[in-house]
Amino acid sequence: MQIALAHSDTIKRRAAMPRSRRWLLIVPALAFLIIFFALPLFQNAVRGLDQQSGNLFSNYATLLTDDYYLKVVVETLVVSFNTTVLTLLIGYPVAYYMVRRAGRMALPMLFLLVAPLLTSIIMRTFGWRVLFARRGIVNEFLDWIGLIDRPINLLNGPFSVYVGQVHILVPFMVLSIIPVLRAVDTRLEESARVLGAGALSTFFRVTLPLSKDGIVTGVILVFMLSTGSFITQLLLGNGSIVTLPLLIFQQFSLTQNIGLASAMGNVLLIIVLTCLFIQLRLTDDKRGAR
Amino acid sequence: MSTLLLRWHPGRWGWHLLTLYTALFFVFVFAPIAVVVAVSFTAEQGVQFPFHGTSLQWYVRLWEYKPFVDSLLTSLYLAIASAAAAILLAVPAALYLGRSTGAVATVIASFLLAPIAIPALVVGMSLLYFLSAIGIGVSFTALFITHTIVSISYVMRTTLSVYRSVSQSLGEAAAVLGASSWRTFIHVTLPLIAPGIFAGSLFAILVSLDNLALSYFFGTANVTTLPVVMLSYLQNQFDPAIAAISTVQMAISIALLLIVEKTYGLRALTTQ
Repeated sequence: MQIALAHSDTIKRRAAMPRSRRWLLIVPALAFLIIFFALPLFQNAVRGLDQQSGNLFSNYATLLTDDYYLKVVVETLVVSFNTTVLTLLIGYPVAYYMVRRAGRMALPMLFLLVAPLLTSIIMRTFGWRVLFARRGIVNEFLDWIGLIDRPINLLNGPFSVYVGQVHILVPFMVLSIIPVLRAVDTRLEESARVLGAGALSTFFRVTLPLSKDGIVTGVILVFMLSTGSFITQLLLGNGSIVTLPLLIFQQFSLTQNIGLASAMGNVLLIIVLTCLFIQLRLTDDKRGAR
Repeated sequence: MSTLLLRWHPGRWGWHLLTLYTALFFVFVFAPIAVVVAVSFTAEQGVQFPFHGTSLQWYVRLWEYKPFVDSLLTSLYLAIASAAAAILLAVPAALYLGRSTGAVATVIASFLLAPIAIPALVVGMSLLYFLSAIGIGVSFTALFITHTIVSISYVMRTTLSVYRSVSQSLGEAAAVLGASSWRTFIHVTLPLIAPGIFAGSLFAILVSLDNLALSYFFGTANVTTLPVVMLSYLQNQFDPAIAAISTVQMAISIALLLIVEKTYGLRALTTQ
């Protein structure tokens, strides 16, 4: 009896002992990220402030009042917003098809959807330059069907930037909507139909609201990724669209104003943190409701 | 677009239209990739599609153009080294967080996952000043630290989600049967979470290979990564060499994916 008791004690200790010191497991990762991730970002926030002149926030004032910089900040938001709306409009029908109609093809299609992630963004952007070239296949096609009679300039403007942005980001939208749409009970749609709702109103009043969570996830993710991207603007826009990350990228080596560059980075950071906060709030609400 | 939205639902025609639309969507997704692979085999001097005659001349040019070869090797070495460091740091953290439910643990988990969400350009710029101040400056070490930050998040994410789906009772059973916590980890927990670690490392490596913004600030004349070299090449000349190096990089990524698929299957990739 005593032996058994003693034995069960050691078991408890064996299971319990590491538990008390278990928090040590988190220390390396946490320390690494505090030193090399949080601290530099914090430094950057301080660097964005202006310690010399009387006005601490003069860099931010410049960003939000100077015509040029304000235009860049606004353009960053507008481009991300438009890109997000476009990916939603283009991606939703694809997600719908993959969940409701693809059947056995759903898994291979899912693979096709993530396959572009195996290629570099520069490769995909370069691809659009080839397709949209003056003597490229898109111009040839438009000529062949008689829509144009001489090559049009498809590159170096907002059009090609949006095509490039949507092309890179639309898989993230589709991937966000699919799991939510899959969870929608098709019997609800059938009930709506049986009760006399038309196909269209069933979609807009039942299916679409029920897939809201997926849409929200996708919208926030795409908006966030779009805000930070600059390669498409750089290689397909040729200066026609200037966003914050592009400006940071281009001016970094040229500009002498480190404070202003830091402030631009921080504005970008604030936009993304706002997105993360909204996302957290929305998922928290969901948990509370359950 | 909107007419399609209004028409698809009712009846057979709607579905036919939607099928056609989805097919066109995948053409849109793959057209720019396919065209680059094709152009890499061109026998012509310029970038054009369609083209006449195929050759491997641009792959030969790659081999002869030193910056491409050097930076590709740097990128591969960097991606693997930072993924390995991320595994060492993130797996213990995931083991802790996977069995903790408190508010503090939730905050820490969000913090460890944050580097994925923060624009890489901002991370890179901030780190440049920080690392210069502590004397690391622009070097391979700086690249290694920067890429490890983001890799930690990728490894954390998949490992955590796999570990949370694994029953806690298996580890406890091993402990009850007398296994030490180290032996429990090596023989029970590690094999169970290995798919998550592999999937996360694969993500981390793929992202590292393609991440221009993270590397941009730290390249020196001797040590720099492939995306940085590709971008500066592209800004100076427009020839099929870019197509060839892109195709090589894609082939490497596909090979890595196949290795993970052969080892653990791809199911772990779709858990999150």
